[in-house]
Amino acid sequence: MKKRNWTPYWLILPTLIYLALFFAYPMVRGLILSVWDDEASLRLQSTASITSDAAGDLPQGTQIRLLDRQGNLLSDEVADAANLLTEQWFLATGVDVEGNNIEGWVSENRLRIREEAEDGTPIMGTIRRKLGSTADPLTDIHESASSVSPVIAKVEARTELFVQEVATLEVWFQIEGENETGETLTGWVPSRFIQVYGDEESGRIDRANQGAFTLEFFEKMVNDRFFWPAVRTTLLLMLFIIPAQFVLATVMALVIQARLRFNSIFLYIFSIPLGVSDLAVGILFFSIFTQNGLLNSVLQGLGLITQAQPYLTADTRHWILIAIWLAELWRATSIVMVIVVSGLQAISDEVLEAAELFGASFWQRLWHVILPLLKPSLQVALILRTILAVQVFAVVIALSGGDIVTVLANETFRQYFEFRNGNVASAYAVFILALSMLSAVFYLRAVRTQQELS
Amino acid sequence: MSKLTSETIALHKRMQARQKLNRTFAYVTAILIALWILIPIFFIFSMAFTTQETVRSYPKNFLPFIPFSTETMQFFLNSAGIVPGVINSLIVAILTLVISTLIAAPAGYAISRYIFPGRNFFRLSILAVRAFPIVVLSIPLAVLFIRVGMFDSIYSLALMHTALALPTTILVIGSVFASVPYELEEAAQVFGCTPFQAFRHVVLPLVLPGIAASAVFTFVLSWNEVFAASILTVQNRTLPAQVLFALSQSSEAYQFAGGFFMLIPALIFMWFIRKYLFNMWGQVSK
Amino acid sequence: MAEIKIENVTKRFGDFTAVDNANLTIEDKEFMVLVGPSGCGKTTLLRSIAGLGMADEGRIMIGGRDVTYLPPRERQISMVFQSYAIFPHMKVYDNIAFGLKMTKVDKKEINRRVNEAAELLHIEELLDRYPNNMSGGQRQRVAVARAIAMQAEVLLMDEPLSNLDALLRLEMRAELKKLLADINATTIYVTHDQIEALSMGDRIAVMKDGLVQQVDQPTTIYDRPANSFVGGFIGNPPMNFMTGQVQKDNGQILVKVGDSLLTPASFIQEQVGKYEGDSITVGIRAENMETLVDPTTDAIPVTVDVVEPLGSQNLLTVRIGDDRVKVSTHPDLAVRAGQKVWLRFPAEKIRWIERQSGKVLYS
Repeated sequence: MKKRNWTPYWLILPTLIYLALFFAYPMVRGLILSVWDDEASLRLQSTASITSDAAGDLPQGTQIRLLDRQGNLLSDEVADAANLLTEQWFLATGVDVEGNNIEGWVSENRLRIREEAEDGTPIMGTIRRKLGSTADPLTDIHESASSVSPVIAKVEARTELFVQEVATLEVWFQIEGENETGETLTGWVPSRFIQVYGDEESGRIDRANQGAFTLEFFEKMVNDRFFWPAVRTTLLLMLFIIPAQFVLATVMALVIQARLRFNSIFLYIFSIPLGVSDLAVGILFFSIFTQNGLLNSVLQGLGLITQAQPYLTADTRHWILIAIWLAELWRATSIVMVIVVSGLQAISDEVLEAAELFGASFWQRLWHVILPLLKPSLQVALILRTILAVQVFAVVIALSGGDIVTVLANETFRQYFEFRNGNVASAYAVFILALSMLSAVFYLRAVRTQQELS
Repeated sequence: MSKLTSETIALHKRMQARQKLNRTFAYVTAILIALWILIPIFFIFSMAFTTQETVRSYPKNFLPFIPFSTETMQFFLNSAGIVPGVINSLIVAILTLVISTLIAAPAGYAISRYIFPGRNFFRLSILAVRAFPIVVLSIPLAVLFIRVGMFDSIYSLALMHTALALPTTILVIGSVFASVPYELEEAAQVFGCTPFQAFRHVVLPLVLPGIAASAVFTFVLSWNEVFAASILTVQNRTLPAQVLFALSQSSEAYQFAGGFFMLIPALIFMWFIRKYLFNMWGQVSK
Repeated sequence: MAEIKIENVTKRFGDFTAVDNANLTIEDKEFMVLVGPSGCGKTTLLRSIAGLGMADEGRIMIGGRDVTYLPPRERQISMVFQSYAIFPHMKVYDNIAFGLKMTKVDKKEINRRVNEAAELLHIEELLDRYPNNMSGGQRQRVAVARAIAMQAEVLLMDEPLSNLDALLRLEMRAELKKLLADINATTIYVTHDQIEALSMGDRIAVMKDGLVQQVDQPTTIYDRPANSFVGGFIGNPPMNFMTGQVQKDNGQILVKVGDSLLTPASFIQEQVGKYEGDSITVGIRAENMETLVDPTTDAIPVTVDVVEPLGSQNLLTVRIGDDRVKVSTHPDLAVRAGQKVWLRFPAEKIRWIERQSGKVLYS
């Protein structure tokens, strides 16, 4: 038995852990986010407690009637939630209707605070008078901070009580509403999920706590008025940028391979764009195409125009596209060049000489030997470039402000940032991913290498 | 001895003329491409170092730097959020390069030195990770970071950038290690080194320049990254994110100076790592 | 007819002259070997003939055609490269057919020739495979098959066996020799291995520092080297060189080597006599000395330093004057290190070499 060497596994372990945490997990989360509605429906409880039996689910947006309310001790994690209705309860001491000294809990609905410490802590209050003739004029004092806890005493209106302690309770509502199948359900829910209407007797389910699979976000994405323009522009850019880049990159690669004098300087200049961000490139080309920018200055200097022409406006959309095209050509051709050059360097000189010797002209060599041998490199470059082209973002923002001409990455950003809709943003992200994968598969099939065949 | 026929001489001359022409053509092409890359940079450079008045003027002077002034650049650097943005960008970039190099170096060593079951799968997965769009990763990570209370932190941005940089770094470092023959390590061990000493005294000095180049590349990648930075930070924006958000309300002076400022690292670092580029991407495309 | 004429060919790389005014004629259907140490210009010369690097000066004629400035594909030649230069993206069949396809040979004819070449090299079963996982020997066969399928009148081979391991090289050497004899092309074969040169060539051109030193048949090159370089480069062990003093005694020219005197053969007496009072280099091959264990008057007494039994012979290292000399003896001759033996130098086997120029004197 040969003992297995575990060293390499230890060495790659940190990478695996890292990628699992910060790549695989978010990726899966992203996929889920786009098809999973976290707040599809609200679970009703049989009593005003989260641990009680479920009494059915009502979908988000259901119109409901409020039947009853009750306070429940507020847990810390939901203390900042929106729509939260709370009431305060006070642990108070005083004298009850029978003259006994008592200590018990009373709701803020029943106790009017009369005296507060400097920091706002209540010190003393009086019991409110009850309105309405039929109601019991006495106020209940409870054993604990809940209206359903046992009553330990009763006090008269205007009794002075000293506040010992304050507790915040979340209001729970007992609601009634119809689910999708027309069935009427009744149950208790916390107030933070409910939007209460002005009449205090009805409302709607505003948020929910039960997730469900949904295509709603993809529908929203497709129906978004920017979706189709974004798809169109992205595909258009891909279609025009990539071929131009490959031609330019091949020319650059051949120039580098020609080993001219100052080759090192040419290589440096050719590779500068590789380190420039898309935002900077966007600004670079903005400085050229803006109304008082380089292009107009040069044209006017040459006497070709008499006044500055607008390029980056809604009326000159084609100019924006041309500017984006040039900017992307400027920025991302270097990486293709580098890949093509390393592909060319990997072809042995003797193989090219052999082709020449066995009668192949330059074009025959290019077609029968160089290009087939470059296939793997071209494949990588194509896939890489397509993925980058599908993601084009800051260049577009810099040149069009992101409104006149829009692309998929920009819409993802907009959905997330402007509309605060992570789900639709994720749907866009998944769409971009699908587009990249489709083109990658397409290239792998179209530019199949012989290793795969054999 | 036989004499050269006139026909041979003519042929020779034609060949030489053609070679010369090809050469000239190559130079002209090289210079044209260089100009295509340099002119925009030069223009924005001259705009970044002139007065704001000149930036607003039209038509602009063809002669650069007239008048030369640091006014525009100063205006940009004094704008709200720029200095903190630069500091944030630097912290994120340095964190990214440190974390990714620390994690990638052992993995790169493993794939270049060991043949182990699962090695190809590992390599392929790394390549696949590289091929995933940043956009796809940013949104769920943002949601995740919000959930665990790490949102709007430059540290979480550094974690995200590391995930982006890791695959390339691993492959590049792997290729750097592969270029140092294992025999050297063995020789060092034969001459009395422990495996670690052999690594420390023989391999490390040889791979350091390559690893430095890959680290620089990681730095530039992080410095340039806009999308994730804009999604993941709100108050603690990095420079590109800050510029991106200020873009629509800012003057051209701000934009031009910002644009130039952001491409300074590219101008500096590409000079140092240009020779390693083919190493990096050549290996990656294999 | 494909006679190759190389006239005054010079090729420089910057300041370095790789081939210096080379003149060489290779007869039609001749097997010429270019041999020399690495960097001697043999490969450069071959590449000039192939057109993979134009000669700076001079003229190259193939079959009476001036090809000096023609691109390779117009020279009607074929070649086997040192690294084989097999196209990695093509199957073996397409590799062999490549040249034929490029020159638009009829499909049926291509098929016939490819199969014929594959059969000659016993690689029929490889035709459908890609070269990726082939052994060095297999690639080598593919490279040769591709070259001979062209049926060009000129076949150039650039160190075709240098990348094979020793055993395979020995095997391929014999096979190649037979194959090349059969296909009847004018062949130029570059190697740095003098045994390969001796065993394969019809004629050998020995090169050094860009200069052609000697062109002749293998036996002549071996037996009558033009200069000390050729003598030292060809043959294993190389020719022995000793320093001798030329002197005249009673009208007789004698050469003093160590403490002993050698008498040049009569036909060379006059030539050697020109160096009277001067020193001269004495050259002799290891197998040309007779070793005697008993004292003999006409033999030089020496002490054996080292004995190397090689199986078919024993190689002795002895010291004569300040020079070490290798002597090959019959394996049955029992000699130990430290033993005294007597060496007899047959006069007609001794080569007399001018010290300055290294030129071997012949009558």
